[in-house]
This record gives sequence, C-alpha cells and structure tokens, in this order.
Amino acid sequence: MGNGTEEDYNFVFKVVLIGESGVGKTNLLSRFTRNEFSHDSRTTIGVEFSTRTVMLGTAAVKAQIWDTAGLERYRAITSAYYRGAVGALLVFDLTKHQTYAVVERWLKELYDHAEATIVVMLVGNKSDLSQAREVPTEEARMFAENNGLLFLETSALDSTNVELAFETVLKEIFAKVSKQRQNSIRTNAITLGSAQPGQEPGPGEKRACCISL
Amino acid sequence: MAQALGEDLVQPSELQDDSSSLGSDSELSGPGPYRQADRYGFIGGSSAEPGPGHPPADLIRQREMKWVEMTSHWEKTMSRRYKKVKMQCRKGIPSALRARCWPLLCGAHVCQKNSPGTYQELAEAPGDPQWMETIGRDLHRQFPLHEMFVSPQGHGQQGLLQVLKAYTLYRPEQGYCQAQGPVAAVLLMHLPPEEAFWCLVQICEVYLPGYYGPHMEAVRLDAEVFMALLRRLLPHVHKHLQQVGVGPLLYLPEWFLCLFARSLPFPTVLRVWDAFLSEGAKVLFRVGLTLVRLALGTAEQRGACPGLLETLGALRAIPPAQLQEEAFMSQVHSVVLSERDLQREIKAQLAQLPDSAPGPPPRPQVRLAGAQAIFEAQQLAGVRRGAKPEVPRIVVQPPEEPRPPRRKPQTRGKTFHGLLTRARGPPIEGPPRPQRGSTSFLDTRF
Repeated sequence: MGNGTEEDYNFVFKVVLIGESGVGKTNLLSRFTRNEFSHDSRTTIGVEFSTRTVMLGTAAVKAQIWDTAGLERYRAITSAYYRGAVGALLVFDLTKHQTYAVVERWLKELYDHAEATIVVMLVGNKSDLSQAREVPTEEARMFAENNGLLFLETSALDSTNVELAFETVLKEIFAKVSKQRQNSIRTNAITLGSAQPGQEPGPGEKRACCISL
Repeated sequence: MAQALGEDLVQPSELQDDSSSLGSDSELSGPGPYRQADRYGFIGGSSAEPGPGHPPADLIRQREMKWVEMTSHWEKTMSRRYKKVKMQCRKGIPSALRARCWPLLCGAHVCQKNSPGTYQELAEAPGDPQWMETIGRDLHRQFPLHEMFVSPQGHGQQGLLQVLKAYTLYRPEQGYCQAQGPVAAVLLMHLPPEEAFWCLVQICEVYLPGYYGPHMEAVRLDAEVFMALLRRLLPHVHKHLQQVGVGPLLYLPEWFLCLFARSLPFPTVLRVWDAFLSEGAKVLFRVGLTLVRLALGTAEQRGACPGLLETLGALRAIPPAQLQEEAFMSQVHSVVLSERDLQREIKAQLAQLPDSAPGPPPRPQVRLAGAQAIFEAQQLAGVRRGAKPEVPRIVVQPPEEPRPPRRKPQTRGKTFHGLLTRARGPPIEGPPRPQRGSTSFLDTRF
C-alpha cells in the first residue's frame, strides 16, 4: 500500500564512469554536472567526483558521479572507487576502436568490484566526430543488448545525449529501487543495505533511502 | 548548444548543495589579469606579487649567495655540511637557483655524468607505439593553463614528449604512468630536457620506487602507512574518516604521485619539492598530514562533514590562504614525524601485507631518504666502479689560512643576520623569534 510520504524521500545514487584513458569521462562529468566542456581538462590522476540533483517525478535524486583514471595500472588503486555504486557508464571513444575492443575487460572489472545488480550503460562518446568513426553504432548496440546493458552515443563537446544518458541510468536505478521497496513492503520485511557512505544528509534534512539493489 | 532538459529532469532551486572536486590550476592559484601569465607562467594565475610572509629581497640575495657557495663545492658540502643544505631547503631555494640545485640534490647530475650519451640515444630512438599514443593523448592535458604547455608545438609539450618517451625506453618494464606527466612538467619548467629526464629517473627509482610502475604497489603501502600515522597523530580525524568511509586511496594517490603539483598553490608546490628532494618521502607524509589537519582538524570541521562526499570535498577545498608557502611549510616542518618513525611504520605495515603468491605485485622496494642518502650511495657506487671519489673520505686538515673570526651561525629559529663574508651593508635584523629549547627544529605537536 503506497504511502504518500515515501515519495518525498531524497535519494543519493552513486554512479561511476569507467573506460579507457582519453575517451571523455571527465568531460561527460563536467558537461552533466556543470554544463562545461574543456579540450584541455587535466588528466585524471586520482578520483574526481561531482554531483547534481535532479527530479524524477516528485522524488529529488542526488546523482553522485565519480570519475577516475582510465589507464590500466590505476586499477590497482581504484577498487575502492566502486564501493556503493548503483550505476555505471562504461564509456568508449567511437573514433578509436581500441577503446571499444576492451569494453569486455572493463565489464569484468566492474562486476568484480561492484554489485551484480548495478545498472550499466554503454556509452559511445565523441559523436560530434562522426566522420572519424571507427565503431559502427549497430555493433555497439548489439553488444549492449546481448549483455544487458543500456546504450547511447553521446557528445560531451556538443552535449548530444549527455542529459539523456545520465537521466536514463538514474531512472533505471530509481525504478529498481522503487520496485524493491514495494516488494519489501509487501513481504513486510525491511532490507537494510550495508552502510552507504555519503548517503546520510545533514541534520534536519530528510533521511536518504537505503540503496541495496 | 545545451540540450533541452526533459520535463522531469529539472534542477530544483532549493537543493543547491552540489559539490564538485573538479579543480584547475587557476582555481588554486587564483584568478588574475585576463590572459596574462603570472611570474610562474600560469595564464590568469595570481602569483604576480610575492605573497605576504615572502622573504625580503635582500634575504633572498643572501640565500642565493649561500647556495652559490654550497653548490660550487657540492661534494664537500654534502660530505660535511648536509645539515646546512637541509635547513636551506626547508627555508626554500631561491627561484633563480632551483635549476642549479635540484639536479644536485637528487643526484641527477651524477647520473648524467655516468651515462653521458644515454639521453641522446633515447631521444633519437623511436618510441614504443603503444606508449607513444598514450603519452601523446596526455601532452596537452598537463598544466594546460601554463604558457609553456599551451602550444602543441611549443618546447613544453615537445619536451614532455621527449622526456616521457625516453623514460619508457629507459625502463620498458615500467612504461608510462600518467602521474609522471605533471612531475616531468614541473621539472621542465626549470630544467632542459636531459636534466629533467635524469631528475625524473631519480624520483621514480630512488625517491619513490614502486610508485609509477605497473602495479603501483608502493602507493598502496604508503596509503596504509598514512592511515596508521593518522591514527597515531590525529586520532579524531582518523576516526571520522573511518566512520564516513573515506579511505586514503580516495585522496592520497594524486597528492603523492604528483608530489602535490596539482593540489597546492604553485609557490607552495615548489617549496614542497625543495624539501622533498632534500629529505625524501617523509616530506610527502608531513604535507599530507598537514593538509588533513587543516581540512578536518577541528570538531566543527568534522561536524560540517557528515558524509563521505562532504569529507572528500573538505580535503580538496582548503582555502588557498591557508596554503601560502611560508605559513604552510612552517607547519609541515613541525609535524612530529621523523625518518625513523616513518621507517618503523612502513615495516609494521609491510608485515601486515598478505604473503605474496604468484600473481600479486612485488614487495615495495627500499627507497633512499633524500639527498644525503643519494649522495652517499653515489659515492659508494663510484668507489666500487673504481672511480676516484671527488673528495677524499679521510682528510688530514691542513692548517687553516687566517680568516676573520666567524661566529658559528646560531641559525635555529632565527632569520638570517648578515653572516656571509661578502655581505654588503649592515647585518639585516629579522623579527626576533623565541629561543627554542628542544633539539628538533620546530617541534610543535598537533
């Protein structure tokens, strides 16, 4: 039985950006959270994050987007990065086939460290450079379909589909969360997720929803 | 051209507490006259004038003369007066002399002398295509706001390419680590490519082995060591970080790998490097501990950071005014962490590492703790190679020529007074400082 006050709850969804170095993760982050793009953003060495709060229906959802170095050797120090993530954008550069060829490795890396129920979208970035395309749209779309991933092509440079990409992932997460809460209400059991850092709002704010998909 | 927002994806006006860790050079160094480069070369940077607390020009002149004297007899200086070098490095090497002093401190000049044709060969050889692509992608992403690195054809980006390529050829099993970019860039701001290359080699192999290689195992170890030191020196902060789930790998790697080149105002970065090249990795820990204390040291600060994101944000948002070189470095050098403390903690953490099995990365290697250790190692290596050391190890002092009587400088806790024989004019009176009774140089506890 739905309760009116539940829909007023705030949510915090942690979404991670993964993919090879240079595919555009940092610019997707800055485009979505600050509507900025820079040809000369610095190489990401540590862990970066940015947030943006959006409305999904009547629910206020704080998207906590994480970004890190794509170079292979950094994986040794970024396993903590995945903790608590409920969504992921696996980004490749559609003008560099090599960055698409390693997508399976990244998927494996993701599933090794994150929850199995994490919502994943495959993102082919740099669609503004269509004349230099090396990855056919259909090929990537088929791969995504066969692996249960969402799929979009984006351009952080001209903003194409950036909002849509994040919005789609967040909506999917939200749907899963709502469904789970409905189920737990029905079975009269309350599932508490493991303590999710960063989810507790300050004193006085509404309590955040436990996220465990 | 901004994409129109879907009707249910509207930014609510009342929820404005979004935070971001994305930074840039100008955010740290401050806004300045549009498109004009500051004294360090940062376009739009604010370091036009020396900040408050910056030493007066004549003090700088005296320090320059001291360094010229020390560096013109470098082996003698390092053999007998390293303490003085260390102290001068803590006070800051004058800008005009970094180019001369840095290669001496890190032993790069000896490397260069021992392998005279090596860099030339590496520079002329074709690079490994895989690394070249990766390096090439990053060239315009190191200090993009610095005038030296703005143009792809400029000597900044080209120098970076040469130095980073040379390293991948010199140590193919190590390859390229993206953090080497900022490190090499700072070196190139001061040195020609060959010297910058050898300084990079020393940093990667001798100061911080295991940092830039394929497994970065020493970074992981140092993260554990850092947490252990936090627990000992800043227990409340440590507890808070545990509670909100902020592990050291979420903030330490960029600090340590880049030697803080991306995390502090540029003049402070240079001061940290002066101390680091002199005293080694211990300086990185001291700077890290100071930053953590500045961000989260008080109960109010911790109270303002109820969660992971706020805590990480606080670590990145220390007001630049608190990071100005003089005051900041003074706090850094006051951290109660000796080389021995550090070694003990490293040993303790190493003992807790899981036993190596086939697959997991190798154990971190021993590193040399700064200029003195490097000097001694290079001297020893020179003896073993059969080369005569530049300075005899056992010396019978000839009777000294008569010189004007000179008081041994009482430099502890005091600014310079005119001590150099060639000083012009009357001695400079600095602000008086309280005498310190303790043995260590500035040992304020947290």
